[in-house]
Amino acid sequence: MTPNTSRILIGIPAYNEAGTIAAVVERVRASLPDYDLLVVDDGSVDATGLILKTLGVTVATHMCNLGYGRAIQTAIMYALDSDYDALITLDADGQHQPEQIEGLLREFEAGDCDVLIGSRYIAGGGYRSAPFGRRIGMKLFSLIVKLVVGQRVYDTSSGLKAIRRTVFDPLTHWHFVDFHAEAIVYLMRLGYRIGEYPVTVAERTQGRSMYTVVNYFKYPLKTSMLVLLGIIQAGLTRRRHRS
Amino acid sequence: MTLQGILVVNFIGLVLLLWVLNLVRHGRLYVGYGVIFVVAILGAVVLLSVPWLLTAVTHLIGAIFPASALTLLALCFIVLMLLYILTQITIVSNRLSKLVQELAIERARVNAKRATPDRDRVPENYTE
Repeated sequence: MTPNTSRILIGIPAYNEAGTIAAVVERVRASLPDYDLLVVDDGSVDATGLILKTLGVTVATHMCNLGYGRAIQTAIMYALDSDYDALITLDADGQHQPEQIEGLLREFEAGDCDVLIGSRYIAGGGYRSAPFGRRIGMKLFSLIVKLVVGQRVYDTSSGLKAIRRTVFDPLTHWHFVDFHAEAIVYLMRLGYRIGEYPVTVAERTQGRSMYTVVNYFKYPLKTSMLVLLGIIQAGLTRRRHRS
Repeated sequence: MTLQGILVVNFIGLVLLLWVLNLVRHGRLYVGYGVIFVVAILGAVVLLSVPWLLTAVTHLIGAIFPASALTLLALCFIVLMLLYILTQITIVSNRLSKLVQELAIERARVNAKRATPDRDRVPENYTE
């Protein structure tokens, strides 16, 4: 990898990931030894906190569970406060391959995107055994994003993202469910650039997905409502900036 | 409403009023919420105790029976109160989340600082 002077933080939100967190941290350290690493322990009730202590990694511990969106936001706030130039987020469940981050970063630093999403659904990417319901949801939100902002984003719910400092501030001043379609629409309506980079995602082997049966109904409704509100909010913000 | 009914309504209103005031006195109900309930209880008691007022309100709403008018008013009050309470819960929840995040970040920064060796620090046994 070409040496660079920009400060990059790798942020991993984790909630009850005792089975995978050690391996994920070790793989990230092995793949990207020069970058700082922050794990946001989102109020885990299993051994995640203890494991993180033994790993000697920098941990931001939420005293109670605030949800995925807030955990990502904590990582963004930390990166903003600590003057990092970019934040790479990846999931703690071991589905993302830390070895692919290098390629993502290379593309991110060479390009002009404010957010580069590690995409499972573009050419070169892949997701083994993606549940049917999630595939449908993904297509639906991809279509919504296309209709609203005119650009197709194929993987709106990827947890692997490279986020440039330019968008740290707007991402901490508006509320998001999971930093998925609602955040993409909000940022694009504000004029920021979003891109995709192909990645392969492995099957989850341990722990539980945050998508429960209830969430299959709740998530699209919540996200759709926030997409709508994000459009309005972005419009108001742009108008305020102009005046 | 019969005299007996009016007496029952006044009695229930008085008990609720005393309960609310006691909750405020013991700090278990915020005074602002207490005021809302005191006004609502007094309003309901007056409305139910003065027959011509209830008839006037029924006509104003466009209902045929006073019971329908009262049901509509009660539903409106419940919905408004629910919305208000949920708003307050959301505000408190957001403040709490912010606090939890700030605390987590501060602790992480302290830990990161501890983990990074301070290159500028002069050792205690250093002599020129």
